[in-house]
Amino acid sequence: MTEFFITLPTRGDGVRGDWHPDFQRPLPPPFTDVRQGVYGPFDHLAQIGRAAEIAGLTGVLAPFDPRGEESTVVAAGLLRQNRHLRVQAEFHPGIATPVYAAKIAVSLQRFSGGRLDWRLAVDLDPDVARSQGYPLEDRYARAGEFLTVAKGVWHEPGYTFEGRFYEVLNGGFSEPPFIGHTFPRVHLSGTSPEALALSARHADVHVFDPGDDLESAIPQLPGVRYGLRLPSPAGRDEEEQAAVIRDYIDRGVSAFFLEVEPYIEETYRFGERVLPLLVKEGAHAH
Amino acid sequence: MPIDIYWRIPTHGDQPLLRHRTPTRGDFAPTVAGSVTPGGVTPGLRGGAPDGYSYLDHMADIARASELSGFVGGLLPSFPFTDDPWAAAASLARETTTYRFMIAFQPGFLHPVQAARMSASLQRATGGRVVYNIISGGGGPGQLWWGDKVDHDDRYARTSEFLDVLKGVWSGGPFDYEGRFYRVEGARLPEPLARQPFPEIYFSGSSKAAIEAAGRHADYYLSWLEPFGPLAEKFDQVRTHSTALDRSPRFAVRIDVLARETEEEAWDEIRRGWDGIDPSVLRDATGDSIGWQRSQSFVTGKITGYRDLEVEPNVWGGFHLLRGGPAFGLVGSYEQVARRLDELIELGVGAFILAGVPHLEEAYRVGERVLPLLRGHDIRYESPVLEGTRS
Repeated sequence: MTEFFITLPTRGDGVRGDWHPDFQRPLPPPFTDVRQGVYGPFDHLAQIGRAAEIAGLTGVLAPFDPRGEESTVVAAGLLRQNRHLRVQAEFHPGIATPVYAAKIAVSLQRFSGGRLDWRLAVDLDPDVARSQGYPLEDRYARAGEFLTVAKGVWHEPGYTFEGRFYEVLNGGFSEPPFIGHTFPRVHLSGTSPEALALSARHADVHVFDPGDDLESAIPQLPGVRYGLRLPSPAGRDEEEQAAVIRDYIDRGVSAFFLEVEPYIEETYRFGERVLPLLVKEGAHAH
Repeated sequence: MPIDIYWRIPTHGDQPLLRHRTPTRGDFAPTVAGSVTPGGVTPGLRGGAPDGYSYLDHMADIARASELSGFVGGLLPSFPFTDDPWAAAASLARETTTYRFMIAFQPGFLHPVQAARMSASLQRATGGRVVYNIISGGGGPGQLWWGDKVDHDDRYARTSEFLDVLKGVWSGGPFDYEGRFYRVEGARLPEPLARQPFPEIYFSGSSKAAIEAAGRHADYYLSWLEPFGPLAEKFDQVRTHSTALDRSPRFAVRIDVLARETEEEAWDEIRRGWDGIDPSVLRDATGDSIGWQRSQSFVTGKITGYRDLEVEPNVWGGFHLLRGGPAFGLVGSYEQVARRLDELIELGVGAFILAGVPHLEEAYRVGERVLPLLRGHDIRYESPVLEGTRS
């Protein structure tokens, strides 16, 4: 199973979003323009999600961007507006208590038939961390407890926990219909020893950057799947793009997070012209 | 001032009748061997098996029904075993047109910077239809279920800090804050998020700490329905605290409604519900919520029948026995219920959150039959309750 995700824009897709000064620039007179005040940036995000679903990709990633749109709100909308699309929401552990993060997630799993994934951003730029009220000291220990508690309340009725950062007494989703749902698949990243240790304990998928040394990290991640952030391959044709992906598949990667632009056009191009080349080789999109 | 009338979107399933406590709507219905029992809907229309619909689809129907029948929006409540209001509102954002989502939440659970970001993005997704119902917890075992160990009065102090940070971030920034509970440096919303309108705040809580915090932060001070005299006194306390802070929140009331063509039909529905309840549950109070203790104190004397809980005309204190939630609601004919709502407007109420079971059909009934009978605040009429309480 090889999965392909489109990384969503957080600040609009070029002029398709009010982050751009030319967003919905009115048609000049005498032409009628009925869009004003009717459509907003989330209509464009919905279109990108729809494109990914229709073009046969696995899903989309809503990245954490402190200067962009909030990812869980984006994720909830896209889950609702699609039937098959997986949606990965990226956030840092400081946004909520682990109980509340799990509570939001279990509702989204119930609403979507289990299509939500999590991406946890543990390493943040120090300025961003301060502006988010997210303490960077002991961040890997905190992230580990965050995931332990979130999984604990999800799976164990009467869950009790007393740790360095979090405390729960007799908690847990112990009643139907909140039991028996799939915990969001956890995506983590980073190549520091702390990052790899956290992934070994908690990740379903460890996501690498193209420059990372996969071969030395992979032995430290038994039982974990490997993902790759794949920036737009400028100037490459479909054959070359497929060759790059095929090479990573051979090295063990089974989840690709594509960064494409413009989003809708490139999503269709990938689905229609690159995916078939990979499928022919035996790697399946789903 | 315009008066906003909201409905409630139940976030923990719904029952088909007030007298039938077992939920049939949504997967909150009991299951047999993993399948929804016969009569359960959404999911389960097709032979009781999951059918691709979820409880969210029923919540969407209730939102659309109440939007179509005249309500400005819906309250999404939050308790341990409800679906989450943020998740529901963000999912339903693009499925209604004018409907406002009143999101109930406890400030301690989300970081205020995150709450600001989620709210602003949700404002962008809905075109500015987010409203807050800020609650500071019923306390008791529930708070530790949530992993929250802050005690009652401190929770209001935290709520105040939370709102200071939330508003500070929203107002442009970069915003620095160093408090007991929160510390941020250089926090700000990106410009397209910051230019969204800040959501109206409905603030709940009956304790002294809550009323003081409401004085500082509330656009609307929201109370459960209580007998009208005590309710007016509570509003007066909030007014006093607010005036000292140079603020003047409006008042809102959350009311369960059982309205029928005739008074007899309405009470007959209550009687049939009453006949099915276990009398031993009459005084089952838990938690450190002052609101709950207050509502229990209004019913005095021996309870021998359902009408003993009618503490003043049409104000019945037994709704919690028939469904989860507050005790007091209005029971009567369409005309009677409308008159009592008008009286509350006379007491200073500027917004209502109404609810009835089942929420889908009752949204249509109350929207079509009761709301058109309202006169609003301009009309004076005889009221036994108001006499003597107002000059």
